[in-house]
Amino acid sequence: MAASIAPECNDIKEKYDTCFLKWYSEKYLRGNTSSNDCEELFKKYKGCLNKVLKERGIDVMVEDARKSGSSETDAEFLKKS
Amino acid sequence: MKFFENQFTYDYSFPAVSLAYFLRYPNPYSQHVLTTDVIDRYVDPATQRLHTIRLHLKKSKIPSGILKLLPKGMGGSDSSGQSYILEKTIVDAREGWMETESRNMEWTGILSVVEKQLYKRLQSEDGRLALDGLAADKNAEQTSVKTTVTFRSRLGQGKMLAKRRQDTGEHEEEEPRKGFFSSLSTAGIQRTIELIGVSRTKEAVLKSKQGMNIVLERLRSGGVVAVLDGMRQDREAAFGRDGPWKRVWLQGKDRPIDNDKS
Repeated sequence: MAASIAPECNDIKEKYDTCFLKWYSEKYLRGNTSSNDCEELFKKYKGCLNKVLKERGIDVMVEDARKSGSSETDAEFLKKS
Repeated sequence: MKFFENQFTYDYSFPAVSLAYFLRYPNPYSQHVLTTDVIDRYVDPATQRLHTIRLHLKKSKIPSGILKLLPKGMGGSDSSGQSYILEKTIVDAREGWMETESRNMEWTGILSVVEKQLYKRLQSEDGRLALDGLAADKNAEQTSVKTTVTFRSRLGQGKMLAKRRQDTGEHEEEEPRKGFFSSLSTAGIQRTIELIGVSRTKEAVLKSKQGMNIVLERLRSGGVVAVLDGMRQDREAAFGRDGPWKRVWLQGKDRPIDNDKS
């Protein structure tokens, strides 16, 4: 599995990734889209990851990038120039 | 602005291709990808579509052709490093499509690269699959993918340089390094940077396809277990048993733009 940016989150990430793959291939792709098998693991993984993103100042950059779709960026850009 | 477009068909079903997309790192063609994390993931209750946001950390360099065009010091003293890529994905399993968007998060003033892909289930022409459901003819299961990459350089424009002038107390725009390119206009420099981005992307898109095909082949031969086994080997071959994070932490703070999207 791909490594996490935060080494201390690798174990929980691996557990979550494994859970997701199973859920995605066995349930989601077969139409059982409302099941929630990996919620608990994802919460733990996110808790671990968010701490590290914050420490390294990546959280703000991620938020900004999440907000910017291409069209919004275009509008923003036109305003500035 | 410049565009790169590519259309391609995988000889695999849509579910397999979408699974391979989430599973594509590491593979033998992705040794520049250091880490991958899931930032957010949910099923939209209204549409039943799966939304995923991931953060990739990749090794990347600003091409020397672009470095030459930058004001002094802007590219950093050393051009090796890492860059963050944000990837958004939406899967609609019922309608059989997946939309992806990846963008670089730093250096967007120099060159912003946005890659969009649309994966779509291709229906077999005679509907045989729907009838017998056995998929005896594997080649009847195909997935098309259309890739569009947009390049935009804003070098020398707007906020970025204004801020820079303030920081350095200079009153004129800094000139690019002297040389052949110094005679180019701002628009010319931007166009040159965008074109360098395009040429690097052609290679990266091919590599990304080769990586996906390896993951798909592993899926076909042994399912998810085979993919995970292959990954472990790729990871050890690329980074050793310690994993990639040692390098991540050891490297400097400079994180040049991603030129190696895949």
